[in-house]
Amino acid sequence: MKRYISAYFTDEENLLSATKILKEKNIPILDVLTPFPVHGLDKILELKDSKLPTVGFIAGAIGTLFAFGFQTWAFVVDYPLFIGGKPHFAIPAFIPITFEVTVLFAAFAMVFAFLFRSRLGFGAKNKIHDERITDDRFLIIIDADEKDDHFEEVKAILELEAAHNIQLKENN
Amino acid sequence: MNLKRLIIFNSKRIISLYKNHRLMDNNYILSRKTKLVFLTLSVLGILLIALSFLLENPGSKQIWMNILLNNLFFLFISLCGALFIALHKIAHSGWHVIIKRIPEALSTFLPFSAALMFLLIFGMHDLYHWSHHDLHDPIIEGKSAYLNQPFFFIRMGIYFAGWIGLSYLLRRNSVSQDLSEDQKHHKQGRILAALFMVFFAISSSTMSWDWIMSVDPHWFSTLFGWYVFIGLLVSGIAAIILVIAFLKTQGYLDFVNKEHLHDLGKYLFGFSIFWMYLWFFQYMLIWYSHMPEETIYFAQRLNGFPILFFLVVIVNFLFPFLALMTRNSKRNIKWLSMVAFIVLIGQWLNIYLMLSPGIIGESARIGFIEIGSVCLYLGGFLFVVFNALTKKPLLCKNDPFLKESFHYES
Amino acid sequence: MYVSPIREPLIKGQKTYSQITKDIVAPIEGKPGKAWYMGLTLSLSAMFIGLAMMGYTVWQGIGSWGLNRTIGWGWGITNFVWWVGIGHAGTFISAILLLFRQKWRTSINRSAEAMTIFAIMCAGIFPLIHMGRPLLAFFVFPYPNTRGLWVNFNSPLLWDVFAITTYLLVSLLFWYMGLIPDIGTMRDRVASKTKKYIYGLLSFGWTGSVKHWQRHEKLSLILAGLAAPLVLSVHSIVSSDFATAIIPGWHTTIFPPYFVAGAIFSGFAMVLTLLVVTRKALNLENYITLSHIESMNKIIIATGSIVGIAYLTELFISWYSGVEYEQYAFLNRATGPYWWAYAIMMTCNVISPQLLWFRKLRRNLVFTFILSIFINIGMWFERFVIIVTSLHRDYLPSSWSMYKPTIVEVGIFIGTLGIFFSCFLLFIRFFPVIAIAEIKTVVKSSSEKITKNES
Repeated sequence: MKRYISAYFTDEENLLSATKILKEKNIPILDVLTPFPVHGLDKILELKDSKLPTVGFIAGAIGTLFAFGFQTWAFVVDYPLFIGGKPHFAIPAFIPITFEVTVLFAAFAMVFAFLFRSRLGFGAKNKIHDERITDDRFLIIIDADEKDDHFEEVKAILELEAAHNIQLKENN
Repeated sequence: MNLKRLIIFNSKRIISLYKNHRLMDNNYILSRKTKLVFLTLSVLGILLIALSFLLENPGSKQIWMNILLNNLFFLFISLCGALFIALHKIAHSGWHVIIKRIPEALSTFLPFSAALMFLLIFGMHDLYHWSHHDLHDPIIEGKSAYLNQPFFFIRMGIYFAGWIGLSYLLRRNSVSQDLSEDQKHHKQGRILAALFMVFFAISSSTMSWDWIMSVDPHWFSTLFGWYVFIGLLVSGIAAIILVIAFLKTQGYLDFVNKEHLHDLGKYLFGFSIFWMYLWFFQYMLIWYSHMPEETIYFAQRLNGFPILFFLVVIVNFLFPFLALMTRNSKRNIKWLSMVAFIVLIGQWLNIYLMLSPGIIGESARIGFIEIGSVCLYLGGFLFVVFNALTKKPLLCKNDPFLKESFHYES
Repeated sequence: MYVSPIREPLIKGQKTYSQITKDIVAPIEGKPGKAWYMGLTLSLSAMFIGLAMMGYTVWQGIGSWGLNRTIGWGWGITNFVWWVGIGHAGTFISAILLLFRQKWRTSINRSAEAMTIFAIMCAGIFPLIHMGRPLLAFFVFPYPNTRGLWVNFNSPLLWDVFAITTYLLVSLLFWYMGLIPDIGTMRDRVASKTKKYIYGLLSFGWTGSVKHWQRHEKLSLILAGLAAPLVLSVHSIVSSDFATAIIPGWHTTIFPPYFVAGAIFSGFAMVLTLLVVTRKALNLENYITLSHIESMNKIIIATGSIVGIAYLTELFISWYSGVEYEQYAFLNRATGPYWWAYAIMMTCNVISPQLLWFRKLRRNLVFTFILSIFINIGMWFERFVIIVTSLHRDYLPSSWSMYKPTIVEVGIFIGTLGIFFSCFLLFIRFFPVIAIAEIKTVVKSSSEKITKNES
């Protein structure tokens, strides 16, 4: 049974300062939900850098090798033909398709990695804390299980930054 | 201390730093030591050239090829200085304002480029086959309305008049802005920038046909002008990076931070890829259609200079592509400078490969005279550019985008 | 980040976040006006004409078209290149302007990306139906088959297959990933249970969590980094359909970047055609401001000038080359039987956009709208001129012939216009036309709203 404190802000500047203070006091923040990406928030929360670029690079490299390799095999080994006087191993002719397949593999791999890691997908059921998060509310979810009575402390900090609707809730 | 107070405190600090810079004026002083380095470079160049005369016996063709090659290489960097300013001005770019004195300084070499280029009067027969008379070559005769010496030099005059004139006016506009807060200078600057862009768009293509493409007078490629242009752009960006790096090691330009470097790194990365794109399509389309009057150009280069041919692609594309892919690589001045330096060598080799097969032929080799000529030119070029940097404060004033440039986040 | 006060605000009207949501979602929540229904009826009718003509083509064969020897490509491929070109503006706005940190793209990128997808769909129809046996279209894909054959990897036509497929799929991914947070907004706003369920499914469970946003931003940046070279490569590969040939007027190395510049040119014109109307109809003038219109016009004059320089370069080099076939090809363009097409092309593409040097005209909506139509007409004729004039008269005069489209070809083209506008009208009815989450990120820096710290 997870208990948490939730509160929302109407301005991201307040959210940023509140989050900074909470982080300084080592109060565990479970999540922060915003209608748009707030600049600087991930640095304050010390979130690790996303590894999506690496995924993209590796997938792209696989695409390059696959596309170039396949064309080479098909036209040099499997069924070499003389087409328009080109050599069998027609490197310049293989480049455009190689490039396109590289981009295709990289794009798809990153999108799937993104959806998978974020647990998003067609029909995914994630908890919606507040319907106005996607409108104009900035929500903060703070863990309340570890220290039972830090609710008052947290409430004080949040109120200082003009937070609204500070509540202690339970996950079921 | 909450975030609001932190922001106000820091804003006050930044404003006071900004004001201090206005008081300090950030004037560059060209130290004797630096001057000595430049002089040494040129002297080394002369020594290498002398050595070359002793050991290699370069013919007049090779000598003139080196003059043309280095003329072009340093002209391109210099011209890109003016282009950088004009392009960013018409795009209403804000971030570049903090470094604009550097490309401005690069553009001051243009009058010297002009003088050096007009030297070609004495080398026309060695450089350009079409300049000979009585060739009985119908193809060259067909082009003689364009490729003839009088028209060639009239065009050269027009190019340099436009480039020197407009870059001078742009620099003068920049100084006017320093001296007065009147916004009319900003507006005038935009008009000058637009004029420069139009003139440059046309002249960059025609100058590449005149000076480089006509070296192979039977050959033609509609993409050639744009291919030379992107080489010019890449060289210029690399040069700007290196000048900034050098100034920073001497303790100047502390207001130029990682954000600005990041953008320059992005340019170097992206435009190197664009260079490869144009190189590839020029090559592939000619390879594909296999028309002998076109393929001879690449056959000469691929067969006569195979190592250089692929080296140019590796140094100008593969290396910067891999070396500048990550975010951090573009924010590290040492790494960025190293990449910029190597790319500059690559662009020099690119021009070498465009010129030498047509002028000298398959026997062309990079020898002492090539390296010596570069050193000689480099010493002179650096002296002109860094001398120009002393003439104006390194940080401009009154530009409406200046504060934006200070706070820039890439 | 500090924004200089000399810059015009990107959002006018002192909007708060929730006002922004309301404004953008209003056309979806409300009922469409008469104009929308009329527009949809018109475009659906056009679409059905086109579908009928396409069916007729598949039934009767390509003989129902005006193609003959030596003009094997006419309206079909002209339309293909025209549509692909139009699609490129969307990716340019989404990807390249993102890489250049141009904040003004936030109010136009969503509709431009949607336009790209619809344009590519229309473009893809042509390679399909211009085949002799379109039902065997799957032959183009390299799968192990009983014929023991592979596809011709050396052919630019096959490079097209990969390029267009990749472009369509990556554009879809880019568009949809950006849409997810906004569909979340729709899901959280609608009252009706069915709509909530459907938007819920489509929103992929988006919560707005900071970690998800962090990944989302990284994903958008890298997809932009991937899509940007696609803008260049796809239209370069399309231009290779012509440039790899050996006939004068087609074989010329400048085609790849020249086609790309032309594509961005015509694409932006189409974006303006759509948005000048949409911003008025959907009351989004505070978001798609005159400043946005002006910026788009600046890109039009830049790319239009590049196209103009390419024309001049081609003309000059055709003379310079000394090749009599090259010289004749261009002489024929200007003075031969299709001189009128060449004249339209030059007027619409080179002369008319130069009027955009005047600021007053750049910010004039009527002029912008009319010019955008002219540009698209001009760019259509550019492809027509390139394709038909080079094909109808190449090396052997005894083979010279003429080309005239049949009503079937014209009908198919009108049909694709119908498909395009129908899709766009449906898009603005059910999806947010402006990227809601993205535009909120520029409120603090670039809107007219006074921020908390500016006191």
